Amino acid sequence: MKKNWMLIGNIAIVLAILALILFYVRSEQEKMLVSETEAFGNMTVAMESVTTNYLIGEQQVCNSWANYLNANDLIVEDAIAFVRDSIISPEIMAHILFSESDGFAGISTTARAGTTSFDVSYKNIAAFGNDLEKLLERNGTVRVTRAYTNPTNAIQSIAFCNEITVRRSADASPERAVLLRIVPVSSLEKKWTFPTEDYQSAELSLIDTAGNYILRGHSFKNSNFFEFYRSYNSPTSSELDRVTASIDGDSGVLTMRNSSGTESLVAHTRINSTDDWVLVTMIGMEALGYREVSWTLAGIIALGLLLLLIFNLFSMQQFNRELRAAAVAADRANQAKTDFLSTMSHDIRTPMNAIIGLTTIAAKNVEDTAAVRENLRKISLASNHLLTLINDILDISKVESGKLTLSPVTFSIVECAENLVNISQPMVKAKDIDFNFRVSRFEHEYLFADQLRINQIYINLLSNAIKYTEPGGRVCVELHETESENGKSAKITYIVADTGMGMTPEFMARMYQPFSRQTDSRVNKIQGTGLGLAITKQMIDLMGGTIDCKSEVGKGTTFTVTLDIPLADKLTDDLMLPQIRVLLVDDDEVLLETAKDTLKSIGVQADTVQSGEDAVRAVQANGPYRVVILDWKMPDMDGIEAAKRIRAAVGNDVPILLISAYDWSDIEDVAKAAGVNGFISKPLFRTTLYDKLNELLGSEEKRDTEDDTTDLAGMRILIAEDNDVNWEIISMLLGMQGIETERAENGKVAVERMQSAPDGAYALIFMDVQMPVMNGIEATKAIRRLDNPWAASIPIIAMTADAFSENVAECLAAGMNGHIAKPIDMKLVMKEIKQIKEESKA
Amino acid sequence: MKAMTRLPALCAIFALLFLLTACGTGKTTQPESEGFTPKLDSQTEGSITVVGHYNNFEALEAEFARFATYYPNVKLTYTYLDGFSKILSTALTSAEAPDIFFTYPWMGSWTDGEQIFAASENLADPALGIDLSCVRENLLKKDDKGQVLSVPIYTTTYGMLVNEDLFQKENIPVPSTYSELLSACDAFQKAGYAAPILAYNSSGEFLYPLYYPYFCGQIQGNEAAISELNALKPEAGKYIREMLDLTADFMSHGYLDLAACSALENNYDAVIMRFFEGDVPMMLATGNTVSGTEKREAKSEAFTQHPFRYSFHPVPSTEQGGYFVNTVSIGFAVNRNSANLDLANEFMRFLVSTNELNLMAKAKRMVTPCADMSLDRVYAPFEKLDSSRMINLSELGLSDAAASQVSHAGWQVSNGLMSVDEAVAAFGAIE
Repeated sequence: MKKNWMLIGNIAIVLAILALILFYVRSEQEKMLVSETEAFGNMTVAMESVTTNYLIGEQQVCNSWANYLNANDLIVEDAIAFVRDSIISPEIMAHILFSESDGFAGISTTARAGTTSFDVSYKNIAAFGNDLEKLLERNGTVRVTRAYTNPTNAIQSIAFCNEITVRRSADASPERAVLLRIVPVSSLEKKWTFPTEDYQSAELSLIDTAGNYILRGHSFKNSNFFEFYRSYNSPTSSELDRVTASIDGDSGVLTMRNSSGTESLVAHTRINSTDDWVLVTMIGMEALGYREVSWTLAGIIALGLLLLLIFNLFSMQQFNRELRAAAVAADRANQAKTDFLSTMSHDIRTPMNAIIGLTTIAAKNVEDTAAVRENLRKISLASNHLLTLINDILDISKVESGKLTLSPVTFSIVECAENLVNISQPMVKAKDIDFNFRVSRFEHEYLFADQLRINQIYINLLSNAIKYTEPGGRVCVELHETESENGKSAKITYIVADTGMGMTPEFMARMYQPFSRQTDSRVNKIQGTGLGLAITKQMIDLMGGTIDCKSEVGKGTTFTVTLDIPLADKLTDDLMLPQIRVLLVDDDEVLLETAKDTLKSIGVQADTVQSGEDAVRAVQANGPYRVVILDWKMPDMDGIEAAKRIRAAVGNDVPILLISAYDWSDIEDVAKAAGVNGFISKPLFRTTLYDKLNELLGSEEKRDTEDDTTDLAGMRILIAEDNDVNWEIISMLLGMQGIETERAENGKVAVERMQSAPDGAYALIFMDVQMPVMNGIEATKAIRRLDNPWAASIPIIAMTADAFSENVAECLAAGMNGHIAKPIDMKLVMKEIKQIKEESKA
Repeated sequence: MKAMTRLPALCAIFALLFLLTACGTGKTTQPESEGFTPKLDSQTEGSITVVGHYNNFEALEAEFARFATYYPNVKLTYTYLDGFSKILSTALTSAEAPDIFFTYPWMGSWTDGEQIFAASENLADPALGIDLSCVRENLLKKDDKGQVLSVPIYTTTYGMLVNEDLFQKENIPVPSTYSELLSACDAFQKAGYAAPILAYNSSGEFLYPLYYPYFCGQIQGNEAAISELNALKPEAGKYIREMLDLTADFMSHGYLDLAACSALENNYDAVIMRFFEGDVPMMLATGNTVSGTEKREAKSEAFTQHPFRYSFHPVPSTEQGGYFVNTVSIGFAVNRNSANLDLANEFMRFLVSTNELNLMAKAKRMVTPCADMSLDRVYAPFEKLDSSRMINLSELGLSDAAASQVSHAGWQVSNGLMSVDEAVAAFGAIE
């Protein structure tokens, strides 16, 4: 209702503007008409002067001839000879005619065209007769005929007249005759040159007061001007009387339609030199630009207003549509948030319930060590899930606010893959899934990218695949490198295919939207936040990569992620073994090929065979090998049986490694009994092979192990932490490693301790960031500014719940040496401490 | 309710659009001739002058306007020549020689007729592309060489104007045979119309539309009779007897008021204005007279106040009906020495088409030269005549002098100045 009234209002305004414009245009037209009318009337008066002067001049010539002839009593031949001699212009001629009773016959100065006859007759010419006699009576004025066809040359002409007296012959008596000075109409028309270009299309006629044409312009129709007016204007008798009276007056201007139906301006003025001749000029209004300009302007404005109106209407409708869509989207978003919060509340309360409940149970059964251990294990699981949940929520909030940034570091894609395998092994084993992780050899192992995010992408997809695949199903992972187009990066393709429950097309259409989970009774039983894929997609987009998904309900899902990752400067050539020969045994031909390449890249020559029997023959025929690497699961003869045969054949000198994709704890005893010296897991990464072979060969590089913390005992660490519980946890955990800790309650205290501490009092500082009095950032900056070089350069590691990458960057920018997020992972903490210890030794 | 609230908005939009469409310049475009494709460059500049004996030729001016839609830069002018028949040959050689000029069937008898035709373009020349097939073939005159030097523009005939409303009012059928004609006159007399038929009475023209077509019908194809008549031999008088008998018979019934007929001042304005008085059921007239009717409708106060339907019919002079005696009124020829010859021929190519010639005929209410005659309802009765009753005077072969004797004889008898026998005997010398 309101919309329609608004529409009507708009149209009413447009109509009002148009009406104003029309009123204005009309007003301007009237002014213009007045102006044009006046100008055209003045021009007509000017043309009358030209005409009068011309007519008077011509009449005077005629009169002078007549005066001469009348004064000299000539015979007609002599008279015409005189006149002929007097004529200067070839287009002018003269006739001498005798009385009407002789049919206006006479003699011409020029012979009739195509003959030698000078005789002339006006018998058939309507312009003569009584009219000529009346004309001759007008003594003292211009006496000129209407336009007629000159009987001598058939050219339309006018004739100036005068009476003369001549003799037909020498013997005859003087006789009244008429002298005509004949001028072609075209000569008169040449005098009618309009003074301005505006009037180029104007035309003139000469009429008498009865409207009869003396001389008719091209656009003047009919045989009489008033008939012309009647024919094309259908006037009432009063209108016709008004026009007649106007023409009969001195001068004036009127409007009429011409024979084409167009509006024309007609001006008229009396020819002063004649009794009843009127000069009439006519020009179309359009030629004056009278109508055209005004209507064009009005038309353009009207069109503009209409377009504006239509545009506004459409815009308004569009805005309304967008507003409605936005309102619906906002409602949906609110609903989604509500649903999400409800879900989160449920998901957070569930592990929290487990933690609180199990803690209560443990407290009440503190004497039962086994029960407490079991409760603590379950509490740990619930805590980890809670942490994952919180991390996902934080990630998605960063994604939604557009604050997700990347923190590239140099990392090994091989290690990344190893991690993936390691992380997935427990889940794979728990669900008894046929897991196949295939890695091709990487031309470029070290890459420069946000390793954490890449891990997150890969783990998300892999853990989804494992989560949504039923026990006994199959999950295949493929990671390979292809050549990148720019040569400065590696194109890493990660394919995760499972035989799980699959997804519906409807869900696939929205699977990357946050908080979306497939509605399925089987899915509902699986823990998840509905954020993993959304985060994954956002991260891939941020890295400029692509993700593709093919899925079919009941058959499984395949995700393919392609990332173009910049190459790191670090090379992979630092992992080299002495040149040795090994025998590699596996029924999988592809694995043999890739493993052989990998071994070759670390300096090891590998012979390959595809069965246990061939392996036994090979060690006998081609040995000795420094190491034999046997796959566990092979058809006909498995790895354990092959190991037994090899031992039987060549003794115990050659070390044997057994390859297994899974945890080997179940077969460890049997394998060792069969003569196996060690185990290696699939896939066979370069570093994996290097480390294992190195170990077997007894030349393993000295590498830190996480469990070896004996050299850390006695270290002193300053811990800046305002929270008592957190202080207690970290001090207890470090104390368990023999590390001494000292607390600073806030940043200011930490700075003061460093000012007063002797050199070497602390090996490093763990610095909380958010603290009262002085925060960790300010404290770090202050310490770095200390005069004491030891104090100013002491390693400072952030230990904070501010876990975002920008927080990490801020800490590093303030002068810190590392960052550990809370809740703390003791492995990471110990790794940092050992690294600092090593550096201090160096 | 929703539809009701939309209604004012829609009305407002339509009003706005209507207003916009009214913002045009008001220009009207001339209709273009169907099927005409210009041969010359449409931007060709030049002029074409047509000369003739009409003081005013609005129908041709309309064609000029239509031609100008194809050639806007060509200036077309019609000029009236004083003493046309005497001056035309001079005009054709003058410094301002016309490009196109009027022709008449009798032009060949002019002293300078040969000179005029010698200056005429052959309009049948295939190179010109003029489609002469739209013109009734018997109207196209070809010379010895097969040239067509003139194309008919208007033709004329003889007949009677019929006040259809009076016939309807008195419930009298429009006659199509001679006996029906007599019956109709009789019925009108009984209804109070003392003189149900009127005709201009001047030398050679009184009852001419009755007897002359009849006479032509009698001698058509009789070469011997025509030869004798052309020779003006007194014995040829026998060929006009039947015609005179018809004339005398018709006069004997007293359906004509001679005084009233003689009171008509001329065979154009006077006849038309009298007919428009509305009390004359039938008026004998020529096609030329009928051509003036349309323009004079508005000039007649009686007709303006009490308009009526009228049409032009063949006078039923036999029991088989009347005759359609057709003759070219004016034709157009092109001056082959014209300075604008290409343009003049192009204009003729444009003009000679059923559409344009019919438009010209309709504009002046003349009989079209085209095979298709249906355009003007006034002449529609002539279209109903069988082709065997159509006579082309030019083909008939009767000389002007012989035709004049026939006319005089008919006038003498109809006015009671001669008996039939006297007129037959005096053939060749009747004044």
